[in-house]
Amino acid sequence: MQPKSKFSTYWQPLVLLILVVLPFVVTSSYLTHIMTLILLWSFVATAWAYMARFGMVSLGHGVFLGIGAYIPTMMFNYWGLTPWIGVFIGLAVAMAVAAILGYSCFRFGLLGDYFALVTLAVAEVSALTIMALRAITGGGLGYTLRSTGRLADMQFADKRSFYFIALILLLGAVYIWRRIDRSPMRLALTAIEESEIAAASLGVSVIRYKMMITLLSAALTALGGALYAQYVTYISPDTIAGVGVSLSICFKAILGGMFTVLGPFVGSAIIVLLEEYIRISLGTSFLGLSQIIFGISLLLMIIFMPKGIMGSMTEAIAKRLNKVSVRQ
Amino acid sequence: MFEQIIMAFLNGILLGGVLALLAFGLNLIFGVVKIIHLAYGQFVMLGFYFIYFFHTSWHIPLIPAMAMGVVAMGLIGILTQLLIINPLLNAPRLNQLLALASLIIVMENLAQVIWGADYRGIPITMPIIQFGDIFIRSSFLAAFIGAIFTLGLLYLFLNRTYLGLGIRAVAQDLDMAKGVGINPKVIYYVTLAAGGALTGLVAAFFVPIYTVHPHFGASFTLMAFVIVVFGGMGNLLGGFISAFIIGIVTSVTAVLSSPEVADILAMAMFIGMMMIRPQGLLGTES
Repeated sequence: MQPKSKFSTYWQPLVLLILVVLPFVVTSSYLTHIMTLILLWSFVATAWAYMARFGMVSLGHGVFLGIGAYIPTMMFNYWGLTPWIGVFIGLAVAMAVAAILGYSCFRFGLLGDYFALVTLAVAEVSALTIMALRAITGGGLGYTLRSTGRLADMQFADKRSFYFIALILLLGAVYIWRRIDRSPMRLALTAIEESEIAAASLGVSVIRYKMMITLLSAALTALGGALYAQYVTYISPDTIAGVGVSLSICFKAILGGMFTVLGPFVGSAIIVLLEEYIRISLGTSFLGLSQIIFGISLLLMIIFMPKGIMGSMTEAIAKRLNKVSVRQ
Repeated sequence: MFEQIIMAFLNGILLGGVLALLAFGLNLIFGVVKIIHLAYGQFVMLGFYFIYFFHTSWHIPLIPAMAMGVVAMGLIGILTQLLIINPLLNAPRLNQLLALASLIIVMENLAQVIWGADYRGIPITMPIIQFGDIFIRSSFLAAFIGAIFTLGLLYLFLNRTYLGLGIRAVAQDLDMAKGVGINPKVIYYVTLAAGGALTGLVAAFFVPIYTVHPHFGASFTLMAFVIVVFGGMGNLLGGFISAFIIGIVTSVTAVLSSPEVADILAMAMFIGMMMIRPQGLLGTES
């Protein structure tokens, strides 16, 4: 359990209040766009951390993101099926894929590094599949959502709607995280992480618990992908599927700290802001230079803050207060 | 059609030789430093650009330019060890992986800033060898022979020299190696230098075959990686055999359907191997 201080009971509603009021105070649509992206990626990174914090480090969440993004978009473009339904079909497909993948991984006992490597390969397969099906997916050129501007097609006149959808999703993800923390599932998964054999011998159903958290994580990630596609209206294998985006989700969660509930949010905020700031301050002068500085910043953060920002901070606070040290 | 498949098969063997060399470097680094060098293919890309740069900007003849490329990549390997791997030696595996992934971002964009996004190559015409209806590009053959020759030299280096035995000792048992007076830090630097030089050499073999662009390395990283795990991580012979298997399978499939399907098949083989035999083709259970 995390040490609860008086401070935390005040600042959490305060942060929430700021997040709700912000889009009405900030009128610049560019800033609203940045904030929407931060919330969206925080949501996805939180969903990723559901698994990662119990030792199931997936480097292939781009698969679920891609399925969630491509299926509703293509169903809408080709068949005119409203994304309000399409999103759930995408969700179902992502969960089916997660079930097949997860079951085969857990059944054969793939742990740690091996699990990470298999998921990395799966991420590459997802991008390659989109490329191979270029006749219908547009391949590497990407795919654009048909614009109608109708509410029935999940297209809003006011772009701030997406900000609030993302905010609600993120709050939901945080709520589920807290619920998991208080449930027997957390204890079971912690035990499984320590030793699968010991957990199984105590009667913990190893595969069932791992499947539950995997399906949950995949479903939420697919939802994030769907929202991204509806919001940005352009998707390509580089931006929404494949190895690159899968790793960038990990970056966000790990830099923030994947063992704390707000870590993914902090990490996403820092990375999105850093990326935008560097891009704007030198974007036009040198193509690629901003990405070099971005990459070097990531490197420095990983080397000097291995536990993530929130992880290092809680540790420092705990040390200051002379409390028991938090989870490693 | 039949001739095409035979030709694809032969090209697969020839390409497999070069891939074996690439996988060898990745495998060596994994076996010794216990780190997955995720930016390995990008090293090949950088090596290619170095050779291109030495040849076209400094007007150095091709063969010395290639030698300089190999040396430059060795230095880059040492630099990587010094700046990135050393500080992360005891960090969680995931952090090491992500650090090398950030290195990919840095290197690909560095190449783009310096040389632009265009395809660049050194025009070399090498003859095509003909046997009846079957054609083989001599550039592939030269790369294959060069790669096999280098692998032979590496075998002798690892088994006959003091330094090579030191590398193997560190790979097998770090504590014992320290006990008999081997300094693992030195061995790490040597390994990364050798791994870097190998990417330079692979780039030299690729010069007559491909043109280079900033994202040239990505597919080779994954291919090398699949080969290494397929053959058994840290197992050099397993990597050698699986390089040919993967080379032939992808080459033949690419002719029969499309390059993407070939890559998907390679990934599927890799995933299947991980499920059924996670230690790889020739790996031993640990």
